Amino acid sequence: MVKILLVGNGAREHAIADALARSTHSPKIYAAASDKNPGITRICEETGGEIILGKPTDPKFIAETAQKLSVDFAFIGPEEPQFHGVADEVEKAGIPCVGAKRGPSEIEMSKAFMRRLMWKYDIPGRLRFMAFKNVEDAIAYINEYAESVALKPARQAGGKGVKVIADLQAYLQQDKAEVKRKHAQDIYEKHMKPYTDIEDRILIEQKVEGPEYTIQCFTDGKTVKPLPLVQDNKNAYAMDIGPETGGMGSIGGPGLTLPFISEEEYKQSAMIVEKVVRSIENELGEPYRGVIAGQMMLTALWGPTIIEFYSRFGDPEAVNVLPILETDLVDISEAIIGGKLHKIDLEFRETATVVKCIAPKGYPDRRDLAKGHPITVNEEAIRKRGARIFYGSVGLKNGEMVTGGSRAVEIYAEAASIPEAAEIAESCIDSVRLKDDWGLFHRPDIGSETLLEKRIELAQLIREIYNYRKEKNLIGRQVDWIPGRGRIEYQA
Amino acid sequence: MKIKERCGVFGIYAFDQKWNVSRFVYYALIASQNRGQETCGIATFNGNEIRCTKGKGMVEEFFSSEKLEKLPGWIGLGNVSPTNPESHQNIQPVSANNSNLVFSYNGKILNYREIVNNSKLGENEDANIAAKLLSEELEKSDPLEATESVMERFRGAYSFVAVTKNAEMIVARDPMGIKPLCIGSFGFDHGAVASESASLDVIGADYKAPIKPGEIYVFTPYSIERKQAFKPQPKYCAFEYVYFSRPDSIINDKSVYEARMKIGEYLAKEFPVDADAVVGVPETAIPFAMAYSNYTGIPIEMGFVRTGRAVRTAIKPTQFERLVGVQLKLNPIRRAIRGKKVVLIDDSVVRGTTTRNIVNLMRNRIGAKEVHVRIGSPRLVSPCPFGVEVPEKDELIAANLTPDEVSRVVGADTFAWLSLEGVVDAIGFPKEKLCLGCFTGEYPLGG
Repeated sequence: MVKILLVGNGAREHAIADALARSTHSPKIYAAASDKNPGITRICEETGGEIILGKPTDPKFIAETAQKLSVDFAFIGPEEPQFHGVADEVEKAGIPCVGAKRGPSEIEMSKAFMRRLMWKYDIPGRLRFMAFKNVEDAIAYINEYAESVALKPARQAGGKGVKVIADLQAYLQQDKAEVKRKHAQDIYEKHMKPYTDIEDRILIEQKVEGPEYTIQCFTDGKTVKPLPLVQDNKNAYAMDIGPETGGMGSIGGPGLTLPFISEEEYKQSAMIVEKVVRSIENELGEPYRGVIAGQMMLTALWGPTIIEFYSRFGDPEAVNVLPILETDLVDISEAIIGGKLHKIDLEFRETATVVKCIAPKGYPDRRDLAKGHPITVNEEAIRKRGARIFYGSVGLKNGEMVTGGSRAVEIYAEAASIPEAAEIAESCIDSVRLKDDWGLFHRPDIGSETLLEKRIELAQLIREIYNYRKEKNLIGRQVDWIPGRGRIEYQA
Repeated sequence: MKIKERCGVFGIYAFDQKWNVSRFVYYALIASQNRGQETCGIATFNGNEIRCTKGKGMVEEFFSSEKLEKLPGWIGLGNVSPTNPESHQNIQPVSANNSNLVFSYNGKILNYREIVNNSKLGENEDANIAAKLLSEELEKSDPLEATESVMERFRGAYSFVAVTKNAEMIVARDPMGIKPLCIGSFGFDHGAVASESASLDVIGADYKAPIKPGEIYVFTPYSIERKQAFKPQPKYCAFEYVYFSRPDSIINDKSVYEARMKIGEYLAKEFPVDADAVVGVPETAIPFAMAYSNYTGIPIEMGFVRTGRAVRTAIKPTQFERLVGVQLKLNPIRRAIRGKKVVLIDDSVVRGTTTRNIVNLMRNRIGAKEVHVRIGSPRLVSPCPFGVEVPEKDELIAANLTPDEVSRVVGADTFAWLSLEGVVDAIGFPKEKLCLGCFTGEYPLGG
């Protein structure tokens, strides 16, 4: 019998717990969490484990809990515990860990580290960027260059604070510069304020266009094993309209790629992640053990291009891949820990998957309003439709389930095709309700034929351009001419 | 005399309140100028108050940087209109309930007199009545229900956008969808709605979809509510494709340019003629002429250069001024026309005066050998009840004369209108989904 301590309490961790619980080693699952996620709680209880409430980001608390329970290994779900060195502390206590240590987790924590690494090691799929330590320099840069950019907090800040601005119409430049300046100020004063663990403050990256997708991988530092591709949908509302969220739902399969990503692009994406994993070890002198995910975009510049890295599974992306994972997750975890991942063959059920997130109104920008609403789930109805529910940002208050301010639950469905799976997931939406008159929202269009066709069309357009550029030996190269300064080639 | 569309509407909603959207509305309205050139207006909401600036003239003439800077806010709305109301308060966007609501509207509500008589709203123009009605309903119920109940009482063709002091942007299109309206977005930052997709292009937003007939959208700080409040019974205005809309617009998910190219092709198929050159009257008829040339192999020539702005709708009070207008605007390129047998293609013929002037110019002043007129629209026989200004029947040449008679009146060798079937095929919707009233005299709602 194996004992496992799972750290974290979102839908992603619910999916991890679920996959671990399917193991033939019949593990006892314990969870260290800040709140009682109903899904994780149930799995812990059913496997003979329990939930231990506390701060998942507190390395001492986690290490002590792991020791007290004498677990065989810990599995760290979210990024913040990694950034706080939870894996390091747990290992110090003699307990092995699946999940990036403080050092390797820098690939997600510091976007400047990630970009510098990619340039230093000449890894394909990299973008131009500028990192700023103070707001004045960032603003001076914004004033000088009117370009399409992504403004980001230099550190992962709970997925918040990113602003992408296409700046192509000269007549709207002033208004856009104004918003860029205000946003740089916001990043500096608001989003980055709580974080003192990194020197860079603001990142300005070149904006690229194309369809996005996520490649999640297991790695023991030497071997990188990619999981099937998933595409998340970031806009809050239907038709890709609305503010940026952590993701309102995602699609995957059938098979290893998506209907709009080729086999070759999948391989190239995995190769990029592998190069990054290797260069992390080269740079830091310690191996990356755990999960790493590339948030990719197919661009005209490179084909597969890195937008960000996660040092963990994506959420909701984890919920697409873990339910169809047929290889024993305990075996995989032990292979990661033992550096024997090359001996594992990952197998997945051949099916299309759709995840739809349901969030209280107010998410993503007014979580204060989205929080604290009593919520009910008719699990029986969802089961009857052949779908499953994963609990996310919900907690218990006076014995009642209440919303936590982010995406409350995620509905998972599978079928032969994405649109069919989407229909099943959609039919379960009204099984989730608030008990008060505040509202919930979700995206009815995720996985629809229409949206899928749009992605396919966009991908095809981008593919034609990058293939053309490849033929002309232009891949990754950016040539510019600035009046008075002359020709500039950004590629080293 | 040209036919005038009723209005262009536009609305934009920023999800991040850092944005000032007035300049976005301004450029979107410039891109809608084809839909109205007499009045224009912009209203914005900044979280505290709604401000509205409107007046007579073209968007670029009326709005200065100073005026735009006095319109701060993250929700914006605009209107261009070809009609010039008597009082300033009736210029769109109109306000209701002490400026708690602003309203921009395109269309015509047929039963508005009835509504006025049955209510205490007072005498006013239909945009104002609609705004007041909506504002009254909003006092009683939530925006979706309020809009639905207002739409239940309207009989007519309309698209509207309203902004309230509760930071809502309400968008609706009538169940027949006669007036166009579409939705788009700019990254994670804005949602926008516009009469024509070209307005979205111009501000860098991506076109997403048409607003469906009978559909309501409500933007709030925490959601976009969407409801198919009435069963769609499409009767899309065919004239949008023939004439009103910009060729770079997508209307009801169909490309206007594609429709116009097909119209040119059908003209060539239906009315071929032996000629040396194809010439289109700028601007609308250019794609017709290009497609006519592509299909027949007769070279296309640039027949005219326009002088002055692309004013389409100015009402010229006298025959003399109308004549001056045409001659000033369209200067023929002699070398392209002299001594040739020319196919002259135009978008519409209302009274025949303009066509006669052009034919006369080409023939008698420049020396075209033959002039064959082809019109990219079927015979225009009936005035429109839905807010498009078409002259009365006795002023419409097509309602009164046969093509042969018209060709004698305008002095052409031959003259032909596109067939009704041709225009329907070119647009690509089944006949029953189009309003073809101006060509047939039969309007939905018995208009």
